[in-house]
Amino acid sequence: MLADFLRLSLKALSERRARAVLTIVGIAIGPLILVMMSSVVGSYSEYIVERITSLGQNAIAIFPTENYRLDAEDLNYIRTFDAVKRAEPFYNTQGIVKRGTEETKVSIFAVDYNLLFEAIGSLEIGEGAIPPETDTLSSIIGRKIAFKDDTRHFSLHDVLTVTVPKIEGGKITGKKTVNVVVSAILEEYGGALIVDPDSTIFMSLEAGRRLLGLDKWSGVLVLADNPANVKPTVSALRQYYEEKVQIIAFSSIAEAISSVTSAITFINFSTSLSAFAVAVAGVAATMITSVMERTREIGVMKAIGYTNFQILLMILLESIMMSLVGATAGISTGVVGAYILSSRGFRIGGIGESGITLQLNPLITPTLIIQTLALTILIGLAGGVLPAYRASKIPPVVALRYE
Amino acid sequence: MPETKQKKPIIQLVDVYKEYRAGTISTLALKRVNFQIHREQVIAIMGPSGSGKTTLLNMIGLLDRPTKGKIFFDGLDVLRLDDKTLANLRNTKLGFVFQTFNLVNRLSVFENVELPLIPRGIPRGVRAKMVLDAIIKVGGDESWLSKKPNQLSGGQQQRVAIARAIVGKPVVLLADEPTGNLDRASAKVVVKTFLNLNKAGHTVVVVTHDPEVANCMDKIYVIRDGEIIDEYSSNKAESLINKV
Ligand SMILES: Nc1ncnc2c1ncn2[C@@H]1O[C@H](COP(=O)(O)OP(=O)(O)OP(=O)(O)O)[C@@H](O)[C@H]1O
Ligand SMILES: [Mg+2]
Repeated sequence: MLADFLRLSLKALSERRARAVLTIVGIAIGPLILVMMSSVVGSYSEYIVERITSLGQNAIAIFPTENYRLDAEDLNYIRTFDAVKRAEPFYNTQGIVKRGTEETKVSIFAVDYNLLFEAIGSLEIGEGAIPPETDTLSSIIGRKIAFKDDTRHFSLHDVLTVTVPKIEGGKITGKKTVNVVVSAILEEYGGALIVDPDSTIFMSLEAGRRLLGLDKWSGVLVLADNPANVKPTVSALRQYYEEKVQIIAFSSIAEAISSVTSAITFINFSTSLSAFAVAVAGVAATMITSVMERTREIGVMKAIGYTNFQILLMILLESIMMSLVGATAGISTGVVGAYILSSRGFRIGGIGESGITLQLNPLITPTLIIQTLALTILIGLAGGVLPAYRASKIPPVVALRYE
Repeated sequence: MPETKQKKPIIQLVDVYKEYRAGTISTLALKRVNFQIHREQVIAIMGPSGSGKTTLLNMIGLLDRPTKGKIFFDGLDVLRLDDKTLANLRNTKLGFVFQTFNLVNRLSVFENVELPLIPRGIPRGVRAKMVLDAIIKVGGDESWLSKKPNQLSGGQQQRVAIARAIVGKPVVLLADEPTGNLDRASAKVVVKTFLNLNKAGHTVVVVTHDPEVANCMDKIYVIRDGEIIDEYSSNKAESLINKV
């Protein structure tokens, strides 16, 4: 029987094709915006959060401000925290590596190797082995330094000449070159945020101090014993140091980004909701007109024995069918739109030269599609229910007399 | 007339009043109507315009409720039935032919005629056969089925409307001026159809202005100003239509 009611509703819709199509276009806008924006925002935020999370949920970086100098005393103080598993200083600077005729900017990071690998869990050695901490001539280099595209520039035991700033008395006074031996090459880490291991030369702390001539620690890398202790440790450190240092926990960056993207998602959702509200009004207007035009016909149907519920169902099916078509059209153009939108890429800055351009596929999940579909069907229901109810309640004699 | 027909009326109106109210104006369209229809009768209701014929037919057809009085359909007290039960009764026991054909123009003849069968949940294949039977009974043929109502003449459209009314094999067929818009020849076909249906066991109630049409029926009721003022058996022999 439902099939017959569907057929009757379809016939009624196809009689007023232009009106139905316009209503459907109105319905389609909501799901279009929702699918397009949510999937694009979703894919980028998921990626960013995932990358930042991979940097280590236990890691905390402490950077001194210009006028403050972190020293062994600070290190000892930091190590007194129960939640602090390890704390080691690091040096960090930029350099230039010559590869054939081409010069590449690189980051240089001098830190305790064990701590490094512990902090960034997904960091892996591709070739060679981690050199001993005492070996101040060796280094571990990122994948993108050893290779450009698929062409190899450096192999194990090659000597790398790096141009770095020359520092005298705490001031940059010029440039100098240093040589390091490649002891290990990292696996590709992938587009990183904040730090980019692929274009970084890692060396031991002592090597950093000697080769780079840095006498001031760039910062202290702290490892908490578990992620839950990161926040309290950060606030305790902040309280102690006040404005003298900057403290960054990767986990709180991820949290901040998550909250920003959920705000964006919410704004996007509200925007589409207003499109949905407009669509409800459109459906209601269309259905009211359609019911009015068919008052006599509804009277005839009631006279020949259609129940109020069957009339209600028939009218409601019309609006639901329009919303189904609208949902299909909206969701599919939304998917196309999402691919077009995300194909433009999106640049994310990082520390120094580590910024990258992301170009991700939109995150189109079954949940998103089903939610959008359900919401759009709700448009049809909400817009159709009043006209359908009114139609079902007209007394047959009144409907039959209607001109 | 056999005794059994008289015993239990299919429709009985007891002291029925119907008042229409439009703001302060009220019209008493039926005044204390007492009236019975027995199974397998074929009757005519006559009366001047505005006398209450359609109002009466709406009462008989369970389309409207009286302001006062009682209506019994097949022994059931109609006023005690809810909308859904009334709809089911109309669907299974009653057939309507409206004054203005009231066909749905976007639907084909076939789809118009099958309309009353859909709420009954009759399968498509069975419906197709019932629709064709009904069309043939009213003197139409298969070629009508795929046409739209407005591709047919007025007389043909009225016959399609009759086919829609009889397709579900109703106990009672109600027709409101079924020949009002037709020429003599078409009117004759329509009246013949009613008489044939009556022979096949249907009860038929026809509202008409046309004395010739009325004379073809068993009984004629005359209504004026909402009151049934006269009731007599027709002289079928004198009917012109029967002589054709
Ligand atoms: N819905 C209504 N509201 C108000 N008055 C009505 C309504 N329906 C009918 N009437 C009035 O009731 C009276 C009877 O109307 P009804 O339609 O039954 O007449 P009728 O005998 O069928 O007339 P006709 O031969 O012209 O069809 C008329 O005076 C009419 O104006
Ligand atoms: Mg009338």
